[in-house]
Order: sequence, then structure tokens, then C-alpha cells
Amino acid sequence: MASDSSPFNNDPSSPDDSPSSPIGNTFSSPGDAARRNRRRGRSSTPSAFDTPPTHRSRFAAAADATPTPSRSRPRSRGGGRAPFTPTSTDDIPASSEGGDGFDMDDARPTFVWGTNISVEDVNDAIQRFLRDFREASSSQNDDDDMLHAEGKYEKLIKQVIEVEGDSLDVDAHDVFEHDPDLYTKMVRYPLEVLAIFDLVLMNMVSRIKPMFEKHIQTRIFNLKSSTTMRNLNPTDIERMVSIKGMIIRCSSIIPEIREAIFRCLVCGNCTDPVAVERGRITEPTICLREECQSRNSMTLLHNRCRFTDKQIVRVQETPDEIPEGGTPHTVSLLMHDKLVDAGKPGDRIEVTGIYRAMSVRIGPTQRTVKSLFKTYIDCLHIKKTDKSRMLVDDAMDIDNSQGRNPEEVHFDKERVGQLKELSKQPDIYEKLTKSLAPNIWELDDVKKGLLCQLFGGNALKLASGASFRGDINILLVGDPGTSKSQLLQYIHKLSPRGIYTSGRGSSAVGLTAYVTKDPETGETVLESGALVLSDRGICCIDEFDKMSDNARSMLHEVMEQQTVSIAKAGIIASLNARTSVLACANPSGSRYNPRLSVIDNIHLPPTLLSRFDLIYLILDKADEQTDRRLAKHIVSLHFENPESLEQDVLDISTLTDYVSYARKHIHPQLSDEAAEELTRGYVDIRRRGNFPGSSKKVITATPRQIESLIRLSEALARIRFSDWVEKRDVMEAFRLLEVAMQQSATDHATGTIDMDLITTGVSASERMRREALLLEELKKQNTSSEVQLTDLRNAVATLASEGFVTMHGESVKRS
Amino acid sequence: MGGPQYDFLANPLGAVRSTFEKAMASVSDPSSFNGGDWGAMDLFTNFLFDQSHLSQVPVLTPSTMRWIKPNTLVRFRGMIQDMLGNEFYVGAYKDGAMWRTNKFMDVSQFPIGPSADTQIWERRLLYCVPVPGLNSWAQISSEAVTDQCMGWTSEQREKRPREEAESSDMAVSIEEDQDSPNTKKMREGEHPSHASQSRESEIASSSFSPVPGPEGNSLHCLVKIYDSPESELKLNEVFEFVGILTSDPEIQEDNVDNDLSSELCEDPLRHFPPNKVVPRFHCFIHKKLAVQDFLKSNPIIEPKLDLVKGMREALLRHLTAVLGNDDVAAHFVLLHLLSKVHSRADTLAVGKLSLNLTCFSKEIVSIFGNQLKDAVKNLVPFTHCIPLTVEYLNNVSLAPKKNYDTNRLETGVLQLAEGSHLIVDETKLEAGTLNSVGVENARLLNNLVEWQKVEYDFKYYKMDMTTDVQLLVLSEGKSNILPADVIVPFRPSAANCSEAVTAEALEAWRWYLATVRQLPHSIESEMQQVVENDLVAARQADRSLNAQDLSRWLTMSRLMSLSFGETSLSLEHWQMVKELDRLRKERLK
Repeated sequence: MASDSSPFNNDPSSPDDSPSSPIGNTFSSPGDAARRNRRRGRSSTPSAFDTPPTHRSRFAAAADATPTPSRSRPRSRGGGRAPFTPTSTDDIPASSEGGDGFDMDDARPTFVWGTNISVEDVNDAIQRFLRDFREASSSQNDDDDMLHAEGKYEKLIKQVIEVEGDSLDVDAHDVFEHDPDLYTKMVRYPLEVLAIFDLVLMNMVSRIKPMFEKHIQTRIFNLKSSTTMRNLNPTDIERMVSIKGMIIRCSSIIPEIREAIFRCLVCGNCTDPVAVERGRITEPTICLREECQSRNSMTLLHNRCRFTDKQIVRVQETPDEIPEGGTPHTVSLLMHDKLVDAGKPGDRIEVTGIYRAMSVRIGPTQRTVKSLFKTYIDCLHIKKTDKSRMLVDDAMDIDNSQGRNPEEVHFDKERVGQLKELSKQPDIYEKLTKSLAPNIWELDDVKKGLLCQLFGGNALKLASGASFRGDINILLVGDPGTSKSQLLQYIHKLSPRGIYTSGRGSSAVGLTAYVTKDPETGETVLESGALVLSDRGICCIDEFDKMSDNARSMLHEVMEQQTVSIAKAGIIASLNARTSVLACANPSGSRYNPRLSVIDNIHLPPTLLSRFDLIYLILDKADEQTDRRLAKHIVSLHFENPESLEQDVLDISTLTDYVSYARKHIHPQLSDEAAEELTRGYVDIRRRGNFPGSSKKVITATPRQIESLIRLSEALARIRFSDWVEKRDVMEAFRLLEVAMQQSATDHATGTIDMDLITTGVSASERMRREALLLEELKKQNTSSEVQLTDLRNAVATLASEGFVTMHGESVKRS
Repeated sequence: MGGPQYDFLANPLGAVRSTFEKAMASVSDPSSFNGGDWGAMDLFTNFLFDQSHLSQVPVLTPSTMRWIKPNTLVRFRGMIQDMLGNEFYVGAYKDGAMWRTNKFMDVSQFPIGPSADTQIWERRLLYCVPVPGLNSWAQISSEAVTDQCMGWTSEQREKRPREEAESSDMAVSIEEDQDSPNTKKMREGEHPSHASQSRESEIASSSFSPVPGPEGNSLHCLVKIYDSPESELKLNEVFEFVGILTSDPEIQEDNVDNDLSSELCEDPLRHFPPNKVVPRFHCFIHKKLAVQDFLKSNPIIEPKLDLVKGMREALLRHLTAVLGNDDVAAHFVLLHLLSKVHSRADTLAVGKLSLNLTCFSKEIVSIFGNQLKDAVKNLVPFTHCIPLTVEYLNNVSLAPKKNYDTNRLETGVLQLAEGSHLIVDETKLEAGTLNSVGVENARLLNNLVEWQKVEYDFKYYKMDMTTDVQLLVLSEGKSNILPADVIVPFRPSAANCSEAVTAEALEAWRWYLATVRQLPHSIESEMQQVVENDLVAARQADRSLNAQDLSRWLTMSRLMSLSFGETSLSLEHWQMVKELDRLRKERLK
């Protein structure tokens, strides 16, 4: 038994023997190791510990290192005549005993070479971890129950065995939680610890299912801290690191030879498998068969050799990690087996692996090496991430459950604390407003509206199937040179998955979706347009007025139903387009004409206009006050340090974090008080249309407005990180709506808000004026026939619905 | 005095090594340096700057490449064109009981045993090119340096006996310099027969035969930077590097044996021309260069007001003459030449003043176009000219683009150093169809004019790089592709009235432009009030004025007072600006 307990001294080296061997690859299988160890174990002396693997020696710190005679391994392989797999199964029980029986008879500690880490300790720690780890949340509830229940990883191991998988994903956070010491060791000495990890894992597997032949690898992921590519430095070599980046190149799959079989051309005798040694295979120079013994007669038998997949992937920094004035860094990844083709160019990934350096030899035959190192990451685990500026995942979606990884949205606690602290500030609303496009001057109410749009309301789906959007659509109409486009650009920069398009350059299909033929395969494929691409984001459309009517009509569906339906070329599909639309337009006469109605100025179909929650008129008013502020702003821009101008402003990353955190975690609900206020306010607005002492009705608000109000107040509550929509949110929402309304829907003749302006394009007072005109006209012309009041009403109704002013004379004459 | 301890010029590595050994005596383990400096740099700084021996360091140019020996101190001026990431190398290793260092070297001096104890350090790789558009007057003429060296050599020959007796500080450097031309002579077959030959033959084994850079006459260089924070060296900045060239005949790309190394760790240099074409340069000290550093004689004069005023008048006269007696245009060109982006507020670049000279019909271009281009060329160090045609737009690559096959950033026309001057000649533009490249290029130019930003194409994403380029557009009508800040119709009244300019005058103007541009600027609160009132009044009077117009006035007023060498805005200059703009507006009508 003693022979079984000591062997671990060499284990750490096993994955290291060849530079190309990934950690815990098939070659470091416990069977292999155990067998080798047993052989060594007999002659095991302390001096054996001093034989490090050759490659490690370059990085190791001790000076008395002597290189391992690399011959040892092939000899040991040659000794075992049986093919690889059967041997390993034979050996597993033995090594598992060894794993279990550390405490049995041999107290002599063995250490990971060059450290004071005891192999037994690590082994035990890993065993404890795999056996005992339970998720903290559940184990707290009822400890007793949980003790009898299976541990998280025992369960996972069983699952892996069931599906005959070949890897076990281990969350490094779990390791840390269970045993911080083990975690530290694992990160610091990943090669050694992972080899033991694999060994322990295989022991467990063989106990659960003794005949399980496949080798299961441990894949660690989710390290506690991840570095940026830029910060990888020599101290990280041979440590476990976690980096984020974007794949830019994948090599083709390289079959890497692991074992070769040679045949003698003279006698036809085949050799035993020859294993890779330090990245190369030595061809036997002499036939081993005693009768033959011919020299240089061996030839490689390709189809009997064993190969594994290998792929080299280059990963580049994502733009957000690149400091100003720098170019992106890249790093190579080495992927093996199952990880091959796990990502393709363009994917954003998070990689956990071991950072390694490899010396560069000067010539093929020379032993001397250049003083340079090439570095790469031996990949252990790869996770695709997909987030750009703001976290895309957000709660505006109702079906949260479907296949979305909750881990993806991850803020560390510190950040969350900061954000929460921020949200407690009483003036956070003002502060955020100020931080939004700080160099665009004034327009505070517009910015507030845009802020609401960024935060968004809650989407609602009723059981009946009716759904209400949570996205807030905003239209900015204004004179040229009022920095509308800049606002748009800014929001685009800030928003998750924003798409910026210009109305003039967008076609209907470009906005929604189109069907094309794939040039390579000839299949018809559906290509998403801007609106679909900005699903869960904000689609910024500049020059909305210059868009073709056809394209604009596509927006109807998107803006209310939040889907894009497409039926062409045999493809009938409905695509999600849960996007907020931020559009900006110039007045039809390029400058706003105060004598015309808003509709005439905006010149957009009312059906579309009513779908915007907020319509802001940004007018360049001849106002000395604003001019003065503009002048001050510009002067200070030029003569003061712009940084010092806005000290009280959140930087853009804080702002995005704030917004994404709120979108993700805050789902405010209407409080009773707020609901009451909402009703009261709505009724109030409606009542405003009733002029005292007159029966005529001006519609000042429609149900669409109340929906908008709810969305706005939800967004406002979100800004405060509040779970409840309070009365003040509703009041602010009313104010915002009114500000926007007043600017866009005020009837210039009377000064009241008139939704008819938006909905039909003709204001109520205008309609009444027409009615009066009509009456007079009729009275003048029709002396003989009696005018029926009902006729008149009908006529007016038709006119109003048509909305044309000039036709009335004739049509009345006809009646 | 004790003489110089180290021969910095001829054997800088010796100084590095001996300081390392000295430092090692006090520390047992080089890990305490962690790749950092151990005091060698102080010596170099002291030698080069405090004792001002910098001018004795030969400058690396295509012609001096011929005779510069490896492992001697040289200077190289260039713009950082690409960053190739970090490189890990064996920084220190134990040779027997001795720690040795590999810093500033490509190949270790002594073979490192496979089991030797080593320390891995890192260094940065930068790909540097000569500053794009560098005008001939701003180049350090290599001939001058060579001549100087030759001069020293002959002088040296005469002095030789005396020098052999004593070893003064001077002698060391002279000897070094004298060696260099000798190398050249050796190549040419001459056999100088003086004392340094023995040393020469020693080095001859490791000398290399240089070839001019990949693009004819320009010299590209791979600079390896040690111990400097990342933020210090940025893309497109112009630096002077002081360091050594290495030459390793051995360091050819190999990788045949190890399938892994060739495939896996794609060396950033793998697709690189060998070091014979692109020399490897190990940098000791680097220094960011401003425009002043390109002036030949650097008269260190305080920008005295009357002096500056005189220069301004002269320069203005010159510009007026060049522009056919068009005084208004000359004023604008002057302001334009002084402009630079002095701050950025979000996306807005404050301080730029791009100029669009219109009314450049075919005839006018033929007369004044080249005249103006030459004048600008003579005044600012880096100039570029883009002849805007449909064909050009459709074919040229304006933005730098990352090539992932070679892992290099392929430069584009718009990868320019800070403070470059760019003339876009739109007069040759004719009607035609732009393809997608052309549209993209037009957009890039537009962005450059509007935001002073160039989008670098990294294939999977684009990155905005801020630039500071003075843009001068020549066009017949108002340019729509390039919406410049100021549009000035050009009204020449005399055909050819430019007189010859003396070299001294040019030199003075260059100094004027470079210096005045850098002056700080502020505004008094009373003046601020006046300006604000004026702006409000102007806007009340003319509603069509927008924020850009007002912003332009302020930029112009800033430049106007700078052009007089004044650091705060005065009423007089403000009035001048308003008057100037009024004159311009009149022309626009």
C-alpha cells in the first residue's frame, strides 16, 4: 500500500511533460499516472521529488533544479504492453484506494514540487469539496436534511456519468466558499492542483460506476477575479487567470498526435504505441522484432495513431478595456478536445485558463533558447458573454425564464453598494439629468424624458394575451441646430444595443427585416433590420421626417405591438422588436412656423404620432434669456477647463451601470396612492377639455396617455431604485407629459391641450370655427330650404374626419 | 574628476551590465527589481540631458543605418504607428553563481542553461515609422551628422597621440563617433590604418548590412520599451527614442521543429520583415517631441510681444502675397495655422478651426494652389495633401485597418501625428459614383472635420481615435463633403506677387507658429461679460446664428490674441475677429 500512497509526488508533473498537453488532458489520466507512480513508488526516495518536469524548470524559482530525464516516461509506457484504455481501467481501483487511504499507513507528507503544499492535504481538501459542497442558500435552511442529501457536485458527477460527458464544470466561487485555502492553491498552482483534482474526480467516478471508461476532466470557471489582457504580466505565468475578450481568429482544427504506431517495412511488425514526448515522437531506428532487427525501416501507420483535436484561437481585447491612445492587445488560447470550435470569430468570451509561457528555440536542432517567451493561455473553460455597453438583459421582458443565464448580469457587491448609495441621494433625478449629455446645454425637460426612456417602464403581459409595452417612445421635433442629433448620438452611445439610423437612408426592410438569398448556400435567410437588431435597446432614427412613408408605416406595428411581422418568400415570421424608438425630425418647413398647427409643422401621420409617449418641440425661441445662457455656455466651453465645468456629473460608465442595474433589478409597482393620483390626474386632464358653460368637448387625453403615464412613472421610480411607484413619481410623470404636450399639442388659438391635434391633426377650436363658418355660409346661401340640425351635424362630422378645411363650401351646398 | 565611468555612446550595454552587477551586489535576488530599473537609467539621463550629450548621439536614418554599429547608442525619431503588445523575456538569469541580465538585448550574452534560474520580465513592442508627411526642413539631415562625424574623425586623427595618453570624457565620445564612419569605409574597401581597427574587427563579426526600410527611403523601426507606464506612450504620438540597435544574425524565424510554437503563439513579429529591414531598437530613454523640437535652430527666446508682433506682420505679409493680396484670406489662414484642439467636451473638439477656401476655379488653382501648398509646407513640420477625386475616394484606404492575418495595423492616410496639417484639394472632384469604400471614406473625412476623430477599423469593432489635424479645404463652391468651420471665398487681386523668402525668415516663422500655438489662454471676467453681451446681441439681431457660429467666434478670438502672443483676450482682438467675420460674411453674399 505504501507504494500507492507515495506516488503523488510526480503527479503534478504529468500534465506538464509535454508543452502541448493541456491540463488534465487524456494523458494525465489517473490510470496513467497511477501506473507510472506505482513503478516509481518502489524506488521512491526523497530525491525523486527533486526531479521536476523539464518545462517547469524554466519558471521555477529554486536553483538546484535538475531536469527530468525525459526518457523515463516512454520507458514506462513501453513497459505496459497493453493498449492504453484497458490498463487505465485496471488501475483505477488501485489508485482510488490510494486516494482514500492516505491516512492509513503512510504519514510521510509529499509536497507539490517547489512549494510547501502537501499533496495529501490538497487531495483531501478536494475530496471534501466534491463530497460535501452544498449550495449555501439551501444548506442554511435545514442543515440536517441537507447532510443526507447529495452534494451539488456529487449530483453533477452522476449527471456527467449518465450522459457520458467528459468534463465537470466546477464553479470557482464554490471552491472559494468551501475552502478559500484550496482556492488560493488552485489559482496559484493550477497544474498541480488540477491534476490532483482530476485524480480525485476519477476516483469518485470509479466508485460510483466502476466500469466507467471515459476520462472526466475538471473545468474550472467563474474565478473570483478576472484580469484584463493588458494586465497579464510575468507574475501571472503558470497561474490560473480569467480574461474577457473577443475571438478574432480560429485556426483550423489541428489533429495532434498523441500516440504513434510504427510498422517495420521489412517484416511488417508493428510497434507498441509511441507516446508524444516533449511535443515530438521519436521514430524507432531499429525494428524491435528479434528476427528482423533491420535498421531505419519503420514507417508511421497513420490510421492506427491516436490524435486529439487542437485549436489555436486568438482573442483580442474588447474596446472598453482599451485605454485612450492604445491598440487592442491579443492573446493566444490553446483549446483541446471538446473546447475546439467552442467559439467563432466575433464572439465575446470569458476564458478561464492557465497562463503559460513557452521559450523559443533558436533553431530546430539547437538546445539553446532565445531569451524570449511566447505566451498563451491553456484554456480550461470558455464562456460566451454577450454584452456591449449596457447589460442587455433586462427585466422589461416578461418571460425571464427562457434559457437566460442569470450569471451574465453580474455586478460585484461593491459596485452595487455604490449604486445604491447613489440612488439614495435626494437629488439623484436631477443629477442623472445633468449627467446626461452634459455638454448639450439646457433642454432639461427633454433630457428628463430621455432618462425615462433609458430606464423604461415595466412590460406587462396579461393572462388573456394582451401585452403592454414598457418601452417609451420619444419624438424630438425642432429647429435645425438645436443639437437634436447630438442628443440622439449620446443616447445611442449609452443605450444597450442601440442602433442609429438616419431616416433618409433607411428603407422599410432595412428597418424591420428582409429576406435574402445566402450567397453561399442559396438558402433564403431572414436578415434583421435596425429595429429588430435593437430589440431591448433604443433605436435612434435621425431625420424621421425624411423617411419614406412606406418605411414609416412599418413602424406602426413595432411601436405598439413590439413585433415585426414578415411574410415573404416563403418565410412567415414574427420577430421581436421590443425597442424604444427615439426619433428626431425637423419641422416640415425646416423651421417651425408658429402660425401653423403642430401637425402641419411636423407633417407626420397622426396615427404614428400618437404612438410616441412624449413629443418634444425643441424650438429656437428668440428669447434673450436663453441666448444669454447659450453665450455663457459657449464662452465657458472655450475658456475654462471643460472638466471643471461639470463636477457634479456622473461619468458615463457609472451612468450605464446605474441604468442597467435599475433595469435589471428594480421592478416598481404602482402603489395605491399613486394609482389614485393617476386616476385623479387623468380625469382632471380630461375635464380640462370641458369649457365651462359649453357642451363642446376637447379631448385632452386618451387611454394611450394613461399608459404613457404609467410607463413614465415606473421609469421615474426606477431612477430612485424604488420598488414602489409613489405619488410624486406620478406627479412628475404628469409634469413631463404636460411639458411635452404643451409644446406639441397646445392649440395655439386657445392655449389648452388638445389631443385631437395629435390624433386627427385638426384642433377642436379649429373644428368649431369651421362649424360656425359653415353655419353662416349656410344661412347666407340657403334661404329657401330649412337647414336641419342633424344634417349639419353629419356634415361637420364627415368634414372633421376628413380634416380638410377648404372643401366645406361645396359639400354643404350639395346637402 | 576620475574620467567617465562608462562609455555611454559606444558601449551602453556595458554601463547597463556593470550597474546591474553593482546593484546585484546589494540585493541578493533580482526579483526585487521586477524588471524595473536598477539605476542605469539615471546615468543615461544624466549623461544625455544634464550633460547635454544628446546631440552627439547619431540619428538613425536610412543613410546613417549604413554605418551605425549595433549596440551603440543611437537616436530615432518616429511616430508610434502600431502597438504590438508586450513581450516576455528572460530578464535575468543565473550563470553559475552570477546573475546576469538580458535587458536591452535580444539574445543573451551567455547561453542560458536549460535549468538555469531565470527571471521573466516584460517589455513593450512598438512599431514606429517616420512621422507621416514630415517636411524636408524638419528632418535631421543625416549628411550633417555624418559630416560632423567625419569632421571629428579627421580632427581625431590629428589629435590621436595626445588622446591615447589621456582619456577624457570627450575622447571617449569622439572615438565612438569616429568608429562609425570607419565601418562605412571598411565596407567601401578602404582600410584605415589607425588604432581603432582592432576594436573594429571585434565588432565586425556582429555588424550587419543595413537595407533601407520597406518603403524606399523611410526607416521603420521596432522599438522595445522598458519600464514605462502604458499611458506615457500613445498611438500616433511622436517620440525621440534613445537606445541601441541590436543585430542578431541568429534571430531568424525558425519554428520548424516545434509545431506548437509556430502555430500557437503567433509571434507578433512573425509576419514581420526580418530585422535587416526593420531594425529592432531597444530604447533606454524616450521623449515626446513637440513641434519646436523639429526646428533646426531652436532660438530660446521668450515670446516677447513686440517681437512676436513683428513676426506676425511679416508672416501675414508673406501669406497675403502667397494668396494674391487677399488680406482676409491670409488672416484666416494664419488663424487656421495656429489652431489646435485644446480640449474636448464629450464629443466636441474645442479649438479646431478648419478652413474652406472657396472660389478655387481651375485657373486659380493652377496659380495659387501650389503656391499655398508650398507655403504651408515651409511653415509647419508635417503636411499632407489629399487630391480629392471620385477615383481617389473609391480606392484609397483612409482609415487604418487591422489585418488579423499579419496581426498588424495597416496604416491609412488619416493616421497622422498630432498637429499635422492636411490640405484637401477638392477642385479636381467631378461627378461620379462612389462605391461603398468611397462612401465610407467620405464619411471618415466628414467625421475628421467635424469631430477630429478617425475611426480605426478593427474588423470586429471600430475604435474612434482622437486626432488633431488642421484641415484646409480648397474647393470651387462650398464643400459639402467636408463641412469646415470657416468658409472663405478666395478673392485674389494680383497674380504673382510673392517675393523670395529668406531662410532666416522661414525659420523665424516656424518658430513663431510652433511657440505661439502652445501659449496658454484665458479670459478676464469683464471681457467675458462683453463677449457674452455681444453674442446675445448678435443672436438677437440674426436668428440664423447658431451655437457653432458663436463657438467659431470664440475660437477665432482665442487664436487672434495668440497670434499677437497675448495670453488673454482683449477687446481690440475681439473686435478684430468680429470685423474679420463681417468681411467674410460680406463675401459670402
